[in-house]
Amino acid sequence: MTLADLKRGQQGIIKDVSSKDIPLKLLEMGCLPGNSVQLLHLAPFSDPMYLNVNGTHLAIRKETAHHILIETTDNE
Amino acid sequence: MSKQINVALIGNPNTGKTSVFNALTGLNQKVGNYPGITVEKKEGVCKLPRGVKAHIIDLPGTYSLNASSLDESVVIELLLNKNDKDYPDVAVVITDVENLKRNLLIYTQIKDLEIPTILVINMSDRMAYKGISLDIEKLEKQLDTKIALISTRKGKGIDNLKDLISNYKTLSIEPCLNTQDIDTAYFEGLKKAFPNQSLYKLWLVITQDVNFGKIDRNSIKDASDFKTKSNVDLKRLQQKETIKRYQYINNALKEGQTIDLNSAKDLRIKMDRILTHKVWGYLIFFLILLTIFQAIYDWAEVPMDFIDSTFASLSEWTKNVLPSGAFTSLLAEGVIPGLGGIVIFIPQIAFLFLFIAVLEESGYMSRVVFLMDRIMRRFGLSGKSVVPLISGTACAIPAIMATRNIESWKERLITILVTPFTTCSARLPVYLIIISLVIPEGRFLGLSYQALTLMLLYLIGFGAAVGSAWILNKILNIKSKTFFVVEMPNYKLPLFKNVALTVIEKTKSFIFGAGKIILAISIVLWFLASYGPGEQFNNAEEIITEQYASENLSQDELNQKIASHKLEYSFIGITGRAIEPAIRPLGYDWKIGIAIVSSFAAREVFVGTLATIYSVGSDEEATIKNRMAKEINPVLGTPLFNLASGISLLLFYAFAMQCMSTLAIVKRETNSWKWPILQLTIMTAIAYIVALIAYQFLK
Amino acid sequence: MNDIIQNILVFSSLAIALLFLIKKFVWASKKKAAKACGSNDCGCH
Repeated sequence: MTLADLKRGQQGIIKDVSSKDIPLKLLEMGCLPGNSVQLLHLAPFSDPMYLNVNGTHLAIRKETAHHILIETTDNE
Repeated sequence: MSKQINVALIGNPNTGKTSVFNALTGLNQKVGNYPGITVEKKEGVCKLPRGVKAHIIDLPGTYSLNASSLDESVVIELLLNKNDKDYPDVAVVITDVENLKRNLLIYTQIKDLEIPTILVINMSDRMAYKGISLDIEKLEKQLDTKIALISTRKGKGIDNLKDLISNYKTLSIEPCLNTQDIDTAYFEGLKKAFPNQSLYKLWLVITQDVNFGKIDRNSIKDASDFKTKSNVDLKRLQQKETIKRYQYINNALKEGQTIDLNSAKDLRIKMDRILTHKVWGYLIFFLILLTIFQAIYDWAEVPMDFIDSTFASLSEWTKNVLPSGAFTSLLAEGVIPGLGGIVIFIPQIAFLFLFIAVLEESGYMSRVVFLMDRIMRRFGLSGKSVVPLISGTACAIPAIMATRNIESWKERLITILVTPFTTCSARLPVYLIIISLVIPEGRFLGLSYQALTLMLLYLIGFGAAVGSAWILNKILNIKSKTFFVVEMPNYKLPLFKNVALTVIEKTKSFIFGAGKIILAISIVLWFLASYGPGEQFNNAEEIITEQYASENLSQDELNQKIASHKLEYSFIGITGRAIEPAIRPLGYDWKIGIAIVSSFAAREVFVGTLATIYSVGSDEEATIKNRMAKEINPVLGTPLFNLASGISLLLFYAFAMQCMSTLAIVKRETNSWKWPILQLTIMTAIAYIVALIAYQFLK
Repeated sequence: MNDIIQNILVFSSLAIALLFLIKKFVWASKKKAAKACGSNDCGCH
């Protein structure tokens, strides 16, 4: 599944990022394979997404989130 | 022996870098621009122990040395150029204790440039609150540097930092990362091609397109044992580099940092639940805006009235005390009213900058970006366009510069083009004086009609910006990759010192920047209004005396007639009457016409111009407002400033692009004359048409 | 005498004002920015 499929409050681990579509800046902010990610809030229409990635709080658009593969760590 | 060392402050945005800068330099700072570009350059002086003086430069906030904006490339260009007069003897990297891991990324990069580097861990007062404990000694060993644990909020640790800076020679300059580890084969080849250079610096030249000594990107070509790589491959290597750096950081923090999540409290989550809420979030944002406008209008009124009457009496006093003559008139009728026209707006401009500074400092602005992104995108803008559009209410120039962090070129261009529609502080003088003349007093739901009109004008400006963005988004055929990353920093109580310094600095530069122009223009205008060619001007006295010989006028009344006759045939009167046919349909007379023409340089000149024109030839002490209220429309015989002409003027100024400096900035930021010229033409056309319709309907 | 001095002052301040305005607007717009962002995804924004 990708980051875009995450539900509010759910946590996951980043498995892979396609570096072709992901800006370097996002990687530098901690969006790297192996790091944890949690979806904190969603703006109306579920976009953008407010995340906690590896301790950093940031917001990205859903179209970017589609390029980040994750695995959920909690069962809801 | 006293000597001066160069110190560069580097760090991520939101780490309190500016607070550290303010703590070190206090009021010994100045803000300028880097030569040729409009990136702000902040520098200051700080006295260190043992008689050492430090020249401190506050570099723009950057997440890493991989520049993604003009501001960020300033940092890397300075750090690669040893011959720059600002090249640092020591770099101070500032981090936030809550985001240490991410903030350390740039530290490892700076260290790899082999510059002595001190690590500052700021906001130490929040450690207990967040359950963080640090073993500074272990961290210093792991990161191979000296660490200053400080809190700018509590004023702790600054002396220790000064001490470390003065001892910079003892710092290690060993790199954190062996560049060769990123890709052995590639960097082995690079090393053979450039045997005497630092590999990391070469790597930056390759990936960042910057110069380094005589080496630039193009000089790094294929050689016998070195092959260049494609951009996709380079990006893969950059990703690998970033992972390696984080491995290094994680290792260091494993030793020196422990976080007890059980004792950590997070106010941010609770506040975000409300402030980014689908309903409450927007409601709160709207209420904040409403408060700002009501405050600007109500609070600023007292000092403004005081300034207005002070300048009126100053002008009167000058006239009485100095020997009468041309120069005295210039002072009393040109310079003083002209200056009064700008000084009067200091209270409002200061308030506006105050609110913007507080919203930025507190971290609330990022929440607005988050809330607005989806809505703004529908109009071809980005959530980040909200910041330019809001700071555009202060001034379009810094607002257009603030578009630099919008990642997509199309979204950025549209933001640049529509930002001048937002109601900047230079429009306020025009709005306020006209509103107070034509909008009746009274209250509706506790808000005064006048404040509501002002609020409406702000909404019109914002609506025009968003509406034209929507059209531009449909018309402009630009393919552009879009992505969007925004950090949501923790909420902070704004530091009084930071806010105060911002307000003082911005107000000062606004007053002196615009003030000089207004002063010069009012001198020229006074001259044009006091001198004229031909019979009608030079023999005004005889002509009028003859014309009114039959009527029994007092000397005062006669002088009035002579003065207005002279004004009508002065250089300015002739020009004004020449353009009158074009502006009469909007309800203006030639005097307003002159004010509009002269305010093409800058809007706030409008009031100064009217002040100058109306005070030429009037004797009694009067404020600008009173004089304007007394003007009579020569055709209709009714007051010149009535509801119809007033609304028409307000709308004209709401839409017209009357600011040369903004045009210059747009030219610079878009690197083409096409956009500013298009902007000027279209905005002026809209302004004229809307003002025309409004006047014809209301008259 | 007073008139002459006053006139000299008026014309010299006019000259200074004009010079300043010309310098500010005509000359400043001729002086091109040394380095600016291009009109596409040049990577510097």
